[in-house]
Amino acid sequence: VIRYALTRLSLLVLGLVVASALIFVTLRVLPGDVAQLVAGLNASPEQVQALRDHLGLDRPLPEQYVEWIGGVLTGDLGTSQLTGTPVASELAEKAQVTVPLGLLSLTVALLISLPLGVLSAVRRDRADGTALSVGAQTLAAVPVVWAGMMLVVVFAVWLGWLPAQGFPRAGWADPAAALRSLLLPAVTIGVVEGAMLLRFVRSATLQAVGQDHVRTAAAKGLTRRQALLRHGLPSVGLSIITVLGLQVAGIIVGAVVIEQLFSLPGIGRMLVVDVGNRDLPKVQGELLTLTGIVLLLGFVVDLVHRVLDPRQREA
Amino acid sequence: MLRRTAAAALALLAAGALALTACSGGAEPAATTAAAPDPDASATIRLVSEPGNLDIRETAGAALDQILIDNVYEGLVSRTAEQKIVPTLASDYEVADDGLTYTFTLREGITFHDGQPLTPDDVVWSLQQVKDTATYRDSARLARVQSIAAEGQTITLTLSEPDSTLLWNLTGRAGLILKKDDATDRKTAANGTGPFRLDDWKQGDSITFVRNDEYWGRKAGLAEIVFAYIPDTQAALTGALAGELDAVTGFDATLTPQIEANGDFTVVTGESTDKGTLAMNSTRAPLDDIRVRKAIRQAIDKESIVEALGAGTTLYGPIPELDPGYADLSETAPFDPKAARALLADADAEDLELTLTIPSFYGTTVSQILVSNLDDVGITLRVDQVEFPTWLSDVYGNKDYDLSFVLHTEAHDFENWADPDYYFTYDNPEVQRLYTQSLSETEPDAAADLLREAAQLVAEDQAADWLYNGASVVAVASGLRGMPSVNVNERLDLAELTKSDG
Repeated sequence: VIRYALTRLSLLVLGLVVASALIFVTLRVLPGDVAQLVAGLNASPEQVQALRDHLGLDRPLPEQYVEWIGGVLTGDLGTSQLTGTPVASELAEKAQVTVPLGLLSLTVALLISLPLGVLSAVRRDRADGTALSVGAQTLAAVPVVWAGMMLVVVFAVWLGWLPAQGFPRAGWADPAAALRSLLLPAVTIGVVEGAMLLRFVRSATLQAVGQDHVRTAAAKGLTRRQALLRHGLPSVGLSIITVLGLQVAGIIVGAVVIEQLFSLPGIGRMLVVDVGNRDLPKVQGELLTLTGIVLLLGFVVDLVHRVLDPRQREA
Repeated sequence: MLRRTAAAALALLAAGALALTACSGGAEPAATTAAAPDPDASATIRLVSEPGNLDIRETAGAALDQILIDNVYEGLVSRTAEQKIVPTLASDYEVADDGLTYTFTLREGITFHDGQPLTPDDVVWSLQQVKDTATYRDSARLARVQSIAAEGQTITLTLSEPDSTLLWNLTGRAGLILKKDDATDRKTAANGTGPFRLDDWKQGDSITFVRNDEYWGRKAGLAEIVFAYIPDTQAALTGALAGELDAVTGFDATLTPQIEANGDFTVVTGESTDKGTLAMNSTRAPLDDIRVRKAIRQAIDKESIVEALGAGTTLYGPIPELDPGYADLSETAPFDPKAARALLADADAEDLELTLTIPSFYGTTVSQILVSNLDDVGITLRVDQVEFPTWLSDVYGNKDYDLSFVLHTEAHDFENWADPDYYFTYDNPEVQRLYTQSLSETEPDAAADLLREAAQLVAEDQAADWLYNGASVVAVASGLRGMPSVNVNERLDLAELTKSDG
């Protein structure tokens, strides 16, 4: 396992290096730069060039890349070209919105998909089971934006229970208010992601029910339910951990959309604004952090899998 | 398509919701109208675009002027909603008959937000810095100022030539007075003399102002103002309907029935200097042919654009009604698709294919009408929606475009038509001469007449097309009084704003 972990870890590092280079190069291909944006609609080419020189935008790309990576290695993600604030502190501030939002969405997705997924598998021959799986198919096809708008109209505009947009300016100093403002966005992402997960749980359960050891257990006198719960679910859990890695990437993408829709000051919205401002050091830092999280989760999932899956254990 | 359907569904649902609340609501509204303003109140105002940073000296963009000028930073003079120039930090000013000497009397006892006093030295330093630093916005607007000097509380500006735009320019960025050698980081903080202090900027979310209790003039009517940056129209609408916003600027006028339905909001429209400008690259065939440009102008139905936007008026020349030099120039290219086709045939330019470069935040309303109008006269229009930085690079910087659409919001910006290097690609020496002459004029009316003459030439040359003169559309909650409605994209002076419990 340790040797596997080391190999896997070197893959993770390699992945990050490749990702950093890709991020750096793709961003340089984008037309327009921050100097032009700062200079605006009444600037002469000379003024724009003066700003460019001042910001060091014209330095050779390899030099800029090495400088950036050197900083990252020493824990410095760089500073915003527009405001001069460190990227890391901005990220930490926005993470206070996005991380709870992601966790909450994941919780909602699991709360929906686990019980309902197993249920729809176990009762697959009955009307309610079929209805569940058809319902999930439909929900999974719903665009996140539409789901969000419907929830806002019902819970914020009609009932007035939850805020329609925004995040309290005091942040988590008022935990109740902060949580309330994340609830609708989290349910929006959670329902859509949960519906996708549900289908996966369903097929994993179906597979488990058909497995030899579960059938043997049932033959030894356990009821079908007992057999499934004791012997089938561990393998269901295993496959779900695998999908969760992918699911997190889905939730991050969902957060970018949902933070726009609900005007939440999170990483997703910051990313959109910074790309629009061509504040490249910030965008780089943000993208690298997000990529890092996804890659790291993939790493952890693989390790857990290795430890838990009896078939892979002996290697 | 998806957005449309969703919006329609939302509208239906919202209408239903409003019908429900209307049934359950009692005699509430009567109570709110009588309530007195609450000096401790806080108001939340939706704005569309957030500035990249707060540097009023170096960073361009109306998003900064809109909130910072008048509210946080002040100049010797300022402009009213009626576009009149009034003394501000100066108690009085005088312009010599020859237009070469401007004297201002600086008020005494004014302090900056950090407690330091405002001195004549600060005024001289501020103006001199703007004049001498080429990367400062509007630095060129002080080009004719030869010297800036102070004696006691009297500030004297001496000019090399008369400048009919100087006082106006001093109401803008060029005239703002900052503390000499101030260490404040202008990118994220502000130290001005205005009725509000910048309290907090949560990037990607909001900017908060609090009342400056030490203000030299009449104190602001609100204790706190929160500018909530909400680019998404639907989010702004639902935020307003849920009672989270007190005013929505940049409101989509076509959603007026929804927001007004339950009586909590009133949509107010005011004049603006927003010019929906369709630039035509006249350095490129076939647009170098005036007949082609005129045909394009005559093919576009301006009335239908104004109707689709739900607000604003038509505009047929470079100067809007709010600015000096306005004239109705509709006769230079009246809507006439038949004449347009004839012109194109005459120019041997049938079956044209052109590309429109348009920043994506303008939506699709205007470009859809353009595509269909131009199709009617045999021009195939390809719409290239780009991010704003891409537009700045391709169109503004490299002049690499056929047609371009941008809403030019700035007031008094005729100078761009007199600048052959501007992205408009318009080069008429006579227009340049008239503009320079208007600058040197000492009588405001005479200066305006010269601009009017120049604008007429620009329109007759079919230098570009003006699709509409936008309106400032603001949805205001009941209980809010004194919300500005004129040209709010440029200036949002909130000192008079008050709120009573609603």
